[in-house]
Amino acid sequence: MADLLAIGNWVLPLLYLALLADYGATFFLRTRTGARSPWLVVAVAAHLAFLVLRGVHVGYPPVANAREIASILALATAGVYAWVELASRDRRTGVFVVLLAFLFQYTSSMLLAGRAAEPAEIAPGAVGMWARLHVVPALVAYTALAFAGVYGLLYLLEHRGLRRHRFGVLFDRLPPLEVLDPMAWHALLTGFVAMTVAIAAGPLLLRAEGGEMTAKVLSKIIAGSAAWVVCAVAVLGRWLGRWPASRTSAIAVVGFLVVMALLIVSGLLS
Amino acid sequence: MAELSVIGASHRTAPVEVREGLAMAPDQVARILAAMHAEKTFDEALVVSTCNRTEIYFVPRAADDPLGYFLGHVARVKGARPAAGADIFYRHDDADAVRHLFRVAASLDSQIVGEHEILGQIKQAYRLAVEAHTTSALLNKLMHWAFRVGKRVRSETDLGAGSASVAAAAVDLARHIFSSLEGKTVLLVGAGQTAETAARALLAAGADRLIVANRTLYRAQQLAYDLAHETIGRPATDRAATDRAATARERPGREPVADAVGLEAIPEAIARASLVITATDAEEPVLTWPNLSDVLRTRRSPLLIIDIAVPRDVDERLGRLDNVYLSNIDDLSRLVERNLGRRRLEVPKAEAIVACEVADFGRWLASRQAAPTIRLLQKHLAVIRKKQIERYGKQFSQADRAQLEQFTQSVCKQILHSPLAMLKQLAADGTPSERLAAVDLVRRLFDLDAIDDEPPAEPPSRPPAEPPS
Repeated sequence: MADLLAIGNWVLPLLYLALLADYGATFFLRTRTGARSPWLVVAVAAHLAFLVLRGVHVGYPPVANAREIASILALATAGVYAWVELASRDRRTGVFVVLLAFLFQYTSSMLLAGRAAEPAEIAPGAVGMWARLHVVPALVAYTALAFAGVYGLLYLLEHRGLRRHRFGVLFDRLPPLEVLDPMAWHALLTGFVAMTVAIAAGPLLLRAEGGEMTAKVLSKIIAGSAAWVVCAVAVLGRWLGRWPASRTSAIAVVGFLVVMALLIVSGLLS
Repeated sequence: MAELSVIGASHRTAPVEVREGLAMAPDQVARILAAMHAEKTFDEALVVSTCNRTEIYFVPRAADDPLGYFLGHVARVKGARPAAGADIFYRHDDADAVRHLFRVAASLDSQIVGEHEILGQIKQAYRLAVEAHTTSALLNKLMHWAFRVGKRVRSETDLGAGSASVAAAAVDLARHIFSSLEGKTVLLVGAGQTAETAARALLAAGADRLIVANRTLYRAQQLAYDLAHETIGRPATDRAATDRAATARERPGREPVADAVGLEAIPEAIARASLVITATDAEEPVLTWPNLSDVLRTRRSPLLIIDIAVPRDVDERLGRLDNVYLSNIDDLSRLVERNLGRRRLEVPKAEAIVACEVADFGRWLASRQAAPTIRLLQKHLAVIRKKQIERYGKQFSQADRAQLEQFTQSVCKQILHSPLAMLKQLAADGTPSERLAAVDLVRRLFDLDAIDDEPPAEPPSRPPAEPPS
C-alpha cells in the first residue's frame, strides 16, 4: 500500500500534466473543441481513488493540513470542471482550469514527497463534525473562487479585445462572452453560499475544539473573510446594483489573487 | 491527344463584365451537359460555373475546337454569345488539369483564398454532370479525389480560418459575444448594400428576427420583406397581395420575424435588438447619445453595434457604455486584413498538399494504363498456375508433369485471351474513359490491386460514382 501511495503521489501531477498538454492542444490548435475528454474523468477517478486509499491508510480524511488540502483543491477543481465541460460541451477553457489543478496537485505532491503513506501532522480541529462542516464548504468556496477568477479573467480579455478591437491569437480561441459570463457568475454564487456556511461553522468549530486564536487561525479567518467579501460584493453588486459582467469579473479576478496571496501567507504560518 | 483537359476563364483572366456573360445558372449548365451527352462530342464533361469562374473539364473525343464548341453552347443557353475573346481563356491538359482542379477545390485559386463556397459549387457541378450522364471512370474518380483534397486542405491547414469579408467579420464578432445567434434580433439601420449583406450573413448564421429602420418606411418594409423571405425561408405569401405593412412577416404565436420602422422608432427597436448594423447616408450620427444613452445604460444583455457608414452613424460615446460593443468599418477591415494575412501564410502548406495529391493521382492513373495491367494479369495467372502445380503436381509422374505444364499454360492463355485482346484494342483505339473503365473492371475482376507490386495511393476505384450528398 505504501508503495502504491508513493507511486500515486507522483503519477497524479503527471496525469494532470498530460491533460494540460491535451487541453493546450485543443486551445492552441483548435482541435476537438466540442469533444468531451475521457482522460479528464480518468484523472478525476484516479485522484479520488488515491485520496480514499490514503485516507484509509493513514486513518483520517486527508484534509488535515495545507499539503493535503492542496490535493483536495486539485481534485475539486478538476471535478467541478469535468461537470462544467459535461454541461457546456465546450472544452476550450479547460487548459486554464487544468493548469490550476496541476499546480495544486504538484504543490501537494512536492510537499508530500517521500511521506505519502505516512500520517501528516494533523492541524488542531481538523477532524470531527464541525471540522467537516467548516472545511468542506471552505474548499468548495475557494475552488469556486478560483473558477470565478479564471473565467473572469477570460471574460475581461475578450471584453477588452472587443472594446479595443485587438483581435489577437488568444482572442480567436476564447469562447463567447455569453458562455464565460454565466460560468464566472455561477462560480461566484457558489463561492458566496459555500463560504457563508464555512464562516458560520468556523466559530463553532473553534469553540468545540477549544482552539486558541493563533496567528495561523487569524490568517485563515482573514483569507476566508476576504473570499466571502469578494463573492458578496460581486453577487450583491450584480443583483442590487445591476453591475455589468465586466465589473463582477474584475472583482472576481482581483479577489482571487488577493485570497490566493492570503492563503499562501496562511500556509507559511502553519 | 490529352486524356483530360480544362478550358475556362476566371477572375484571374477576365474582368467581371466578361465573367457575367459566361456565368450560368444550374439549369443552364444542365442543358449544356444534356446537349453534349446527346452529341457525344466529349467522352466525359463537367461544367463549373460560379460568379468567379466558368470552366469545362472534359475527356476529349471528337471536338476539334472545344472552346468554340463550348462557347456555342453557352451562347445557346444564355441567348447571346459572351463578349469574350479567346485570350481570356486558359487551357490545362492532363497533370496540369488535375493540379488546376485540386487548387480550385482547395480554394487556392479563389478570389478570396480559403473561401468556403467553392467546394460546394464543385460538388453541385459534379451532381449536374452525373445527372446528365456525362461523367464516367476518369471524372468520377477525379472529382471524388478533388473533394478529398479540398477537405484535406481545410482540415490540415488554416487556409479557411477567420472571416474574409465585412459581412463575415460581423458574424465573427457576433460569435465572440453570443453563444448562439438563434433567437437574436438584428436591427438594420439604413438600407445600403453592405449593411444588407451583413444582415443577410447574420440571419444566415442563425439570427431569426429582423427590424429594418429607414428614413423611408416603404423601402424599410420592402427590404424587411425581402430579407425575411429569402433568409428565414418561410413560404412566401402572394407578394402582390402583401401590403408591406409594418409587420412584414409573422410567425403564429410569436413576435414578428421582420419589422420595418422609421428612424424615430430606433430607441424602441434597439431595446429589442442584440445586434445593430448601421449604414445610412446621413451626414450626422443617427444613433446619438441624447436619444439612446438612457436606453442603453439600463441594458443587462450585450449589444453589438456595427457601424459600416462613412461618415459614421453612431456617436462613439455609446460604445463606452457597459454591455455595448461598437465596431466601425475600419475595425472590421482590420479584422479581415489580419485573417487574410494569416490565410496567405497557409498557402505554401496547402500547395504542398495539392502537389502531393496530384502526384498520387498520377500514380493511380498510371496504374490504370493497359500495359501494366496486362503484365500484372499475366503475372497473376502465372502465380496461380505455379501454386496449383506445386499443390497437385506430386500426384503426376515426371512425364505427365511436363504435359501438365503445357496443359495449364494453354488454359491460362485461353482465359487471358479475351481480356488481353480487349485491353490491347482499347489501348490502341479506345478513348481514355473506355480504357480506364475496362482496366478498372479487369483489375476488380481479378483483384489485381491487392497483388500490385506498386499499389496505387488510392484504394481500388469505387463503384460507379453517385452524386455527392
